Amino acid sequence: MVQRTGERERCVTGIEGLDTILYGGIPRANTVLLTGSCGTGKTSLALEFLIHGAMKGENSLFVSVTENSEKLLANIIPYKFFDRNLVKSGRLVFVDLPIMYERLGMVKPELSMEEIDLLVAAMGDLVDELGTKRLVVDSVTSVCYKLKTSEKIRDFILKLAKTLSDRDCTSILVGEVPAGSSAYSSFGVEEAISDGIILMANMERRGDLLRTLQVIKMRGTMHSRAKYVLDLTPMGVLLVPLLKGGSTV
Amino acid sequence: MTPAMSPQMIAQELSEMPPGSAVSLQMSVDNYLDVIRGTLDLFANKREMDTIYVTATISSEAIRRVLEALDISSSRVYFVDCISHIMMGASSAQQDEHTTLVESPTMLENLMLKVEYLIRLSQSKEKLVILDSINSLAIHNNNWILSEFLHILVSGLRSKEAYSVIFSVEEHTTPEISNMVNLVCDHSIHVGKDAGREG
Repeated sequence: MVQRTGERERCVTGIEGLDTILYGGIPRANTVLLTGSCGTGKTSLALEFLIHGAMKGENSLFVSVTENSEKLLANIIPYKFFDRNLVKSGRLVFVDLPIMYERLGMVKPELSMEEIDLLVAAMGDLVDELGTKRLVVDSVTSVCYKLKTSEKIRDFILKLAKTLSDRDCTSILVGEVPAGSSAYSSFGVEEAISDGIILMANMERRGDLLRTLQVIKMRGTMHSRAKYVLDLTPMGVLLVPLLKGGSTV
Repeated sequence: MTPAMSPQMIAQELSEMPPGSAVSLQMSVDNYLDVIRGTLDLFANKREMDTIYVTATISSEAIRRVLEALDISSSRVYFVDCISHIMMGASSAQQDEHTTLVESPTMLENLMLKVEYLIRLSQSKEKLVILDSINSLAIHNNNWILSEFLHILVSGLRSKEAYSVIFSVEEHTTPEISNMVNLVCDHSIHVGKDAGREG
């Protein structure tokens, strides 16, 4: 029997299959890169993580970078468990990052080191103010486009992860990679700094396109490294093991 | 030669099994209507059980018409239809509350996911999942992947205490398919032309 030592407190995602893969959930205060190409279900999964948190009484924050949060809410899968009162009560909060940029006076296409510090501090303040325990940034890749260099990206993610971790906030940074890419991130920096990587992909098998999920790394817990097939349903994200059919590749 | 089992006998045999059981139901093509009457009407409907009917042989529309002709209520029957989509318009089947389409019978994971979704959605205390049929799935999938699929599907249903009934057609069944089904099932019912009971 495997002895579990030094067990860390878990942030139960509420996505049953994922919690099983992670032996109980994401270790609390971890920063996880949820990466994949478009149409793989990253935003839906991240949102479900927040909704389950809010339903459990954990204040949850969605930081939208690319899509207006009103539009996002209108387009999400009509989850049967989603109660709009979670938004009305402030348990689940949506913030548009472009509005934050504007308020912080960050109008230039590229952020300076000082502005990175200012942005991270502003996010920390927001987390403090809202008592946030779960946070999603969708997508961190879009933020990285304003940082341009690897040094700045590294600096931003390191500082953001530390700020959130110090506040006991578990976070998911949504990353985008081009379709067919074997990399885990667009800039090659994000994955090295994150505590965990969850890779979502489209996998073609004999002409069928399957949505897959695989946990590549997760600090602080044992986890399955197998590939799973997922479906986005009104009952949430469902997962089953990918069938191998005797395949050796 | 033993006479074919009646629908009442099929229902009786299923009723004797505890929830979570997996049953192999081998039939002759001539016995299909008796099997449907026995499993869907006299077993599931009588016990007010939701049925998830995975069809890979004929379209859900066609089965619905059969149920109508037999005067069997389909209000508790939810179809996972793996065949209509690849027939490309040969069927008018549409996705609705009672019908979920899977693009192809080769997408076995998606089939499992749809069953899982319907199980979660179901409000009935007991649930029945019918797989119609293993022979049709074997046309589109090799034995390795089919065997793995059956094992995962049936194990999952067992843990949820849902009944699984796997249909096979004796005229099309090979020893490999029989072994595959018997490996995951607790009991087998033979409703063929020369049927007796096994188990």
